[in-house]
Amino acid sequence: MQIERTKGYKEILTWMENSGNKPFDFQKETWQKYNEGYSGIVNAPTGYGKTFSVFLAVVIQHLNKTSNKKEKHGLRLLWITPLRSLAKDIARAMQVVLADLNIDWKVAVRNGDTPVSERQRQQKQMPEILLTTPESLHLLLAQKNNSSYFEQLICVAVDEWHELIGSKRGVMTELAVSRLKGMRTGLSVWGISATIGNIHEALEVLIRGDMKKTLVFTKEKKKTNIISILPEEIETLPWAGHLGLKMANTLIPIIERSNTTLIFTNTRGQSEVWYQTLLNVYPDLAGAIALHHGSIDFELRNWIEDALHEGILKVVICTSSLDLGVDFKPVDTVIQIGSPKGVARFLQRAGRSGHSPYETSNIYFLPTHSLELVEGAALKAAEKRQLIESRVPMLMTFDVLIQYLVTLAVGDGFDDKIIFEEIKKTFAFSEINEDEWKWIMRFITVGGETLGAYEEFNKVVFEDGLWKVTNRKIAMNHRMNIGAIVGAVMIKVKFMGGGYIGMVEEYFASRLNPGDNFTLGGNILEYVMIKDMTVLVRKSKAKKAISPSWNGGRLPLSANLSAMLREKLSEAANGNSKDVELIKLKPLFDKQQRLSHLPKENELLIEKINTREGHHIFIYPFEGRLVHEVLASLVAYRLSRISPISFSIAMNDYGFELLSDQQINIDHENVRELLSGENLILDIQKSINASEMARRKFRDIAVIAGLIFQGFKGKKQSNKNIQSSAGIFFNVFEQFDKDSLLLRQAYDEVFYQQLEEPRLAAALERIKHSAIVIKEVFNAFTPLSFPIKVDSLRDTMTSESLETRIQKMKADMVRL
Amino acid sequence: MDGDLELVIRGEAITLSSKRALYWKREQALIIADVHLGKPAHFRQSGIPVPSGLLTADLDRLTKLIAQFQPRQLIVVGDMFHHQDYNIDITTFADWRNLFDGLKIILVQGNHDRLKPLQYLHMDIELYKPNLTIGPFQFVHEVKEGNEHFFSISGHIHPGVLLRGRAKQGMRLPCFAMNENQLVLPAFSLFTGLDTSYCIDECEFYAIAGEKVFKVK
Repeated sequence: MQIERTKGYKEILTWMENSGNKPFDFQKETWQKYNEGYSGIVNAPTGYGKTFSVFLAVVIQHLNKTSNKKEKHGLRLLWITPLRSLAKDIARAMQVVLADLNIDWKVAVRNGDTPVSERQRQQKQMPEILLTTPESLHLLLAQKNNSSYFEQLICVAVDEWHELIGSKRGVMTELAVSRLKGMRTGLSVWGISATIGNIHEALEVLIRGDMKKTLVFTKEKKKTNIISILPEEIETLPWAGHLGLKMANTLIPIIERSNTTLIFTNTRGQSEVWYQTLLNVYPDLAGAIALHHGSIDFELRNWIEDALHEGILKVVICTSSLDLGVDFKPVDTVIQIGSPKGVARFLQRAGRSGHSPYETSNIYFLPTHSLELVEGAALKAAEKRQLIESRVPMLMTFDVLIQYLVTLAVGDGFDDKIIFEEIKKTFAFSEINEDEWKWIMRFITVGGETLGAYEEFNKVVFEDGLWKVTNRKIAMNHRMNIGAIVGAVMIKVKFMGGGYIGMVEEYFASRLNPGDNFTLGGNILEYVMIKDMTVLVRKSKAKKAISPSWNGGRLPLSANLSAMLREKLSEAANGNSKDVELIKLKPLFDKQQRLSHLPKENELLIEKINTREGHHIFIYPFEGRLVHEVLASLVAYRLSRISPISFSIAMNDYGFELLSDQQINIDHENVRELLSGENLILDIQKSINASEMARRKFRDIAVIAGLIFQGFKGKKQSNKNIQSSAGIFFNVFEQFDKDSLLLRQAYDEVFYQQLEEPRLAAALERIKHSAIVIKEVFNAFTPLSFPIKVDSLRDTMTSESLETRIQKMKADMVRL
Repeated sequence: MDGDLELVIRGEAITLSSKRALYWKREQALIIADVHLGKPAHFRQSGIPVPSGLLTADLDRLTKLIAQFQPRQLIVVGDMFHHQDYNIDITTFADWRNLFDGLKIILVQGNHDRLKPLQYLHMDIELYKPNLTIGPFQFVHEVKEGNEHFFSISGHIHPGVLLRGRAKQGMRLPCFAMNENQLVLPAFSLFTGLDTSYCIDECEFYAIAGEKVFKVK
């Protein structure tokens, strides 16, 4: 049946026309396909009413019901969003529509911020539409009798699917959807996604099996205007973070010209610094500037979002906390500080301004060090060619599967045969075999491989034909740890006299001394003491203060942007660049050329620099830090095979450094071999085993699989006796249970995700056809090498004996 | 053993063993700290899968130490037992203990040691609290205030050192931490972490690398 002929469609059309709107083609297409029983993905830029495409499809279906019988209340549409802040606005919009159309449906939000009383009310009587996060949905599955909540469910919508798909939260979503489909045959599943490189794969991941599926595209194209802010002078030894702040005053005219400006920084720490800096250079902003990031009090964030809607604020400095789809009408300008590292992210942030259809988005790019200007030029070119990144779905994440199974066991219990069939149908676990499944089941029921030694293990037990968790304490611990976002332990910051300010990492707090000043949420605070897992502070009059560091703020450069970067640098090397950014950078390029060499696209530059610190080798493939990390280990491993040697390894998005106390033998003779694609897989595996990459991956895995407990929102740790660290577990598994699937996952995560093996192979292939330029530089760092050298995040790789290394260190310690 | 290190403290001959123990020759006493017996089983009871080889590895090392030094007594300076539950690991330990019925075992109580008095008696363990003094040494779990009258031998900290070398090399190792008045033992159990931030006045570290103990200033 044509949707236009239905009663429901006509009602919606009238309603839209009354407010001077009409449906977009993609909305109509979604309603039609939904009506025909399809599931699918809607792909549209923000501001075009993506929400209404899926939401109104369900409403039309409801309006088209012919029966006059009053329907039972209960959950019809489950709406999954990745960000809590999104839910509130969407719920508001839905409520307005339902009220206008006189539909007696309730809309409710359920996430970490929802009060317990409200959650209990929902459990007594589910609203017709529930907006939730993947974590809160899993928590719902951990409730007793949860299947009764879903008896009326007809549609699951996954909003911002592009944000979820490449992460473990995406796998959580896949698993939850598989369970809901298991409970409700005929369930429709719809994803809503911004443009990503692998949109067709995104459809295959979300909509599984023999369901009728479709992709709905918009014809509308968003226009984006990108402007780089150029520094007056170019520093020829670029150091991350320094340049941007000096240019703070250049933002003043932009802010003044605009209605409301959003300033995006890449880390929370940066946003704190910028808040202070802007207030210093432009004191008139006081009262009209706010700071929004994930560690700021929930109520304050709410207030800021409301104030943004109302246009009260002139400037808001934020992190990825405001990345996604909320539409703040007054926002007409966006400033990005530092490289966004990816085309998709940059365009998404640009889309925060001018989000009404047919409006142009304006985004300014302010580099934090001079080399980042090249990225500005690369971003423009990538936007022109619409080189949007893919988000690669995660596979075989056993940690998430273990957590999910325990979640089901804490809830109503599960039948392993039914669930195995369900998870085999998900994209993430379509390759799982019987042995792996059995291992997982043993892991949660008897605690591991060898029976007997584990007889006291207590977690998931078999009762009345189902696998269940019966121990209340284990159930409670599990509920508190549901989720796949593993962060550092955060603790609250409060004033002495009461009053919550925000959260900082425990690691940061542990290094503070009484009297130290730090900034948080735009306040300068004086540290007094830590009491009951809370940092107590008082207001400070100090002018200078340190800003908290939040780890994990570093994003790797995407493959697409890397390719553009190489092209732009090559243009600069050939002296035929027309980009203002590259012309501005000429002094830096000249210095690089004078001291060493500026590589063209078909060249690979290697620099050898000797200093008092040791012997440095810098190699510049320009492939992004993830690829460099693996490439660096690979080269270090191959070198260490020739003779015993130890390396310290550092990398950034442009290249990597190997540093040793010994001369590093790399020359035109052996360099081809060191960078060859031969025995690649085997050598990479060995180099991963020898490095610490897998150990770092294991941190998240240990938390997600329930081996260690995360501090729960600054709550006092009540599980002291069963608290250990991921590092200890990693050692213990390596020593006593080498076949653990969780260990294998840690290595696989490096291998498949970090390494992005096709990307590495492509890089090596490219290098194979490049001319290799080796330059020796004496007693100076080059513009390219300096930012890598000062990087403090380092890896190690060694083939020397423990004894030799210790002897050397002992000797060095005397000398140093 | 080759890698062990001989010292004289307050006139007494002391051996620092790479097996995370200390031997006092005159009293024929083997001294260890922070054994955390029962920890793996306690984790398993709480639904956290811990591999089974941990306890065996710790007990094997203790057996080797006994074979090497032939001690008359074993002094544990606290946190011998991880939890108050008498779980299967403790049963395994009790069986092991029966093999060495000539060995006197002394426990100076630590914050984790919360078994019932009868259970210690059953395993033939003499319990002392808060400390035990023999000759120039005071055995105690945690040194709260330094005392010049005695040389304290303690545990609790799980000390470690961070070694640094040229070309940004670094390495974390378990260690003994010592100054004029006290010595802190490394944790005996492998199922423990390291505290590399620990520091006492005028401190010297004796790090353990593989089968070797060596001094780090």
